Order: sequence, then structure tokens, then C-alpha cells
Amino acid sequence: MPIKLSNLSPKQLIEIDACTRCGECLKYCPVYAHKGEEAIDPRGKIQAFKSFIRSQYGLWAKIFGPKKLDEEKLKKFSEMVYRCTLCGECSVSCPVSIDSRSLWTALRETLVEMGHFPEAAKRMKANVLEARNISGDENDERTEWLEFLDELPDHQYRKDKAQVAFFVGCVASFFPLVQKIPLAFVEILNKAGVDFTLLGGEEWCCGFPLIGAGMKKEAEVLIQHNLDAVKAKGVERVVFACPSCYHTWMEEYKTDINIFHSTQFIKQLIDEGKIQFKEKKMRVTYHDPCDLGRASGIYEAPREILRAIPGVELVEMADSKEQCKCCGGGGNLEMVDPDLSAALAQAKIDQIQATGADTVITACQQCVRTILTTARRKEIPINAMDITEFVLKNMKT
Amino acid sequence: MDKHLIFYLMFFPTVILFFWGMGLHVSTWLEGKVEGLDHATKWEKAKFYLRKGWRGFWSRPGWYIRILITEVIFHRKLFGQSFYRWLAHTLLVFGFVATFVVDMIKGFTTGYLVEFGVSWAHVFETGAIRPFLDFFLEFFSFLILVGCIMAIFRRFILRPDQLRTEEEDITSLLFILFLELSGFFIAGYRIAHPDVVQARIYLANFTPASANNWISFGSYFLSQFLGNVKIDANFLWYLHVVPSLIFFVYIPHSKLLHIFTSSMTVISDRQKALSKS
Repeated sequence: MPIKLSNLSPKQLIEIDACTRCGECLKYCPVYAHKGEEAIDPRGKIQAFKSFIRSQYGLWAKIFGPKKLDEEKLKKFSEMVYRCTLCGECSVSCPVSIDSRSLWTALRETLVEMGHFPEAAKRMKANVLEARNISGDENDERTEWLEFLDELPDHQYRKDKAQVAFFVGCVASFFPLVQKIPLAFVEILNKAGVDFTLLGGEEWCCGFPLIGAGMKKEAEVLIQHNLDAVKAKGVERVVFACPSCYHTWMEEYKTDINIFHSTQFIKQLIDEGKIQFKEKKMRVTYHDPCDLGRASGIYEAPREILRAIPGVELVEMADSKEQCKCCGGGGNLEMVDPDLSAALAQAKIDQIQATGADTVITACQQCVRTILTTARRKEIPINAMDITEFVLKNMKT
Repeated sequence: MDKHLIFYLMFFPTVILFFWGMGLHVSTWLEGKVEGLDHATKWEKAKFYLRKGWRGFWSRPGWYIRILITEVIFHRKLFGQSFYRWLAHTLLVFGFVATFVVDMIKGFTTGYLVEFGVSWAHVFETGAIRPFLDFFLEFFSFLILVGCIMAIFRRFILRPDQLRTEEEDITSLLFILFLELSGFFIAGYRIAHPDVVQARIYLANFTPASANNWISFGSYFLSQFLGNVKIDANFLWYLHVVPSLIFFVYIPHSKLLHIFTSSMTVISDRQKALSKS
């Protein structure tokens, strides 16, 4: 099967030709730092794909006809392309500004079309399309975590109409380790007097896992459903505690509804005087989730929240903001290569510990889950929590 | 045979081969999907991008020119990453751009305006402007040479871990080094042998001999060692011109293609950042 270029844009094909193999990305790629294989780093992947293009569309292909693609090479290439967290740090460091994050998903789309993608991605696709969520649980159980609230109103936060919709996301809905996050956010919204609703079973996966795996077309049905579900509630704003859901909505959902990440929303509530804090003497560090920081450009809102809490001292990690290292939980890597994902989490934990902070705060359930899972497995004493939990803990009642 | 004719007999196929090479890439890029143009032909996609680029440029020409200068030619991002790399790259890029501009002025005025009898154009050939043209050509070529030597030193002596040297890296650097050195050598030779050059228009040196030491400073230095060296002047001309033309054809098939592609990616990235802000 010849390699099709119709999943890439002309800009992405130009980017492939723009790579000069300078290797700047190697210094930043967390996967390369761990694996040390040329084929797995951004440069190696671009060069491999360039060689496929040349064999099909290059000078010799034009003169002598396209070469048959080597299936073994394609298989190896696919393994490399899927062993990536889509953290986008290579993009930030690239001297010629290649938007590599988008490029990797486009390459995955091409590989999916050619049938070269991991088995685990097939299972994930089946889960998402059949159960409407990443874990394969009954989708109506999305709000079971509400049981842990001290008081549950009659409407159970499933209002017909509201001003704000809280889109919880699959990980926070179904993984007990991080269900404290939506619980905390619901309490914050309540205390701040926000008129909000949950979507419950009408919330479907945002489509991020499919898009990240190169199955963008399959995500369209989810996108359309979620848009309809939100519109039916008549909301003006949708708020997300999950940066991946937030980023997917920002990039893929064509809507005029205002979209906020929880950090932006909380910051606004603080500015409006609806959230006030008690003093807390504590040294914390902040981990920038890839989809919130590099992908969406939100670095300051979470830091401003932390600085607004009296007594809290924020210490930055050696690599922060644009250079923040991925926790290993992104890009479906955990699904494809759990050991590699855990190794990246370990490197993250080392950086956190080097700050001497009491707690690492982040703004992503997947980051909290990845860091805590590795820490627990290796019995590393570390406190990690989402910013919503931290805000709730330190709010004046 | 007249050297003009010989040059054009080589030059036109070179230009055709260069554009054919570029065309191959453009054709491949246009295989990509363009949102909203699902069933468009390559030509329709090309027209779409040309129109978009044209309108985009004229919507804020100042911004585009500033980005071209600061982000492409003077590569601000690289400056923040490595001063050494930035210096080598800037010397090469700025040197080539500036040399190209001066060469175009020189070629157009002396090669066309003078030939077509425009009287004031003689100032570019034998008048007051000529020494400045020669000086800037010498100076900008010198910048390229320094940039090239720095790049060679980094790649083969410093050898940072991130670098992986392939055939095209060596070929590109050696090409540039050879063209620069042969250029300086020929200029030095023509200064050292005024008797030879007068008869050959392509080796002619109209700069006053007394000013060579500061105008053609590098070539003048070399000329001090070339007085007793006798080489066929035609051979020297071919030695520089033929590789120059081959280099031109080589660009689309080498990493040097990034001269065009990375300019586009950098501008596109800054454009995206601008529209987000």
C-alpha cells in the first residue's frame, strides 16, 4: 500500500522538509532521554517519514517509479510514533518551529489508515465508541462519585438549564484515585454560588484519546454529541478540570460557547471575591500539564491562584512552564508502553523531590494519577494533588 | 566561443533543473489536505495558498518584513539557544542574502544596463560605485566563509552529541567552502595578474589597483602569494562557475532546501502566535 499524504496538510509536509536534523529536540524529548534511540526521537521520526515520502514521491520515484514500502520498516516506524507522550516540548525547542505535536497526530492518522497501529489503540477505540468513555464502564455511572459528597441536592447537579456546564472528563469520572478532583471542584462551585450543571450520562468522551491515537474521523460523532448536549442545557460557559478535554474543545469543537479551564475559572472567582483563602504555611511546586501549558498557553492562572493563598510558597522545578517535563501520562503512551510511561513519571518525581516542596500541585487528573500511581508502586512518599483540591482545602468556609 | 554565450548555455538548464527540483517538492506538499478544499486539484490548492499569502502579506507588510529580518535572517530563536550556532548560521544566511543582493545590482547594472547603452550605468562598472560594490561583495563573501568554517569546526571538531553527520551535511558544507575559497582565489589571481584579466570580461577587475588592499582585502592578501603562480584563466573561470551552477541545482535535493521551507515554517508559526494573541 503506498503511503498517502492526505492526512497531512501542505504545511506539515513542508515542516518535514524543513527539519535540518540539527538535533535540538533531542535535548528536550523525555522519551529519547530515557530510551536513547535515534529512531524514537523527533528527528528520527521525521527522517524516517521523509524517507518514505522520498521513496514514493521523490526524484528517483518520479524517474523509475515508486518503491514498494518495507512493511518491517513501517512497523518499526509505527512503534516509534506511538511511543510519544505528545508533550510538544520538541515543538517549543525546534529552531525552525515545527509544530510537531500536530505532526505526530497526523502521522498516526496516516498509520491508522495503513493499518499500522497498536492493538491497545483498537481496544481503546472500541471502548470509546461503544461505552462512550475511555474506561469501558457504563456511561451512566459517570457521576457515581457524587455519592461521596456530604450533601447532595435533589437535582443531583443534573439541572435542565444552567449558566455553566462542568465537563468532568473520563479519567476523573471513572478512576477512583482522582475522583476527589471533580468532588472538590463541585464544592468550590457550590461555595462560590455558581449556577452549574453536570452532563452525567450525556457527557461522552471528548474525543481526545481517539484524536491522539490518529483516529480523528471517529471522534466526530463524540464531538457532535457533546456540543448538542451542552447546547441543550442552554449554558453560556463550559468549564473543564481536565486540560486534555479543554484543549480538545478549544481546537476541535467549533462553538461560540465560552470555554474555561478550572484554573481560569477559579482565578476569575478569586478576582470577583467569591473565593477567599485562609492562611496556610506550605512549600509547594507546580507541574504544568502539557495540554494546559504548552498546548493551550495557560501558565499564569494556576500560579496566580497559588500565590493568592497566604503563606503558600511556590518553588519552581528545574524545568517549568514551556520546559516542564511531561509526567508520562500523555499521548496514550501508558496504553502502548506502560513501563516507559512509568519511567517518565519517575523522572518527574525526581524533579519534584529536588525542589524540597511538601506537595506538588498540578491541574490535570491524568498527571495526578500518573504521578501517584508510580509513587505508590515504588513506595515513594510524595504528595500530589490537583489545584481544585488544594483550593478547596484552603478556602475560607 | 563568447563567455556570455557559454555562461547562458549553462545557466538556463541550471535554472530549469532548479525549478524542476523545487517543483517536485511543491507537488508533494500539495498532496496534503487543505481544509475546505477536499476535492481540489494541486493547481487549485496552489492558487488558494498564493492568494492567501498575497492577501496576508498586504494586510500587514511591515510585520512580515520584520519577521523575515528578525526571525528568519537573524534567527532570534537560535540566538537564545546557542550563540555559536546563531553566529555561524547568521553569517551564512546574512552573507548569502547580502551577496545575492549586491551581485544582482552588479550583474544587472554592468551586465544589462551598460550593455544596452544606459550611460549613467557606467558608474557601476568603472565609476565611483564600483569599488563599493566590490568591497561589499568581498566583505559579505568573507562572512559566508567565516560562517562556513565555524559550522565545519562545530560539526567535525566540537562534535556536540546532538549532531549526526550525514553525506548531505558534508556535501553542503564542502560545496560552500569550495565556492568561497575558489572565489577568493580567482579574485586574488586577477589582482596578481592584471595582464591576464584585461582580455577576459568575466575576470575583469575595474577597481583601481591602488584600492585593492582595502576593497578586496581578502583577495588582495592572497594575491601577494599568487604573483608567480600561472594557471589558465579560462580554467579558473570554469572552476568557479560550474560548481556554482551545480550547487544551485543541488539545493532542492539537499538539506539546503530548508532555506525556503524553514522560512515558511517560522513565518507560519509567528503568524499563528499573532492570531492567537
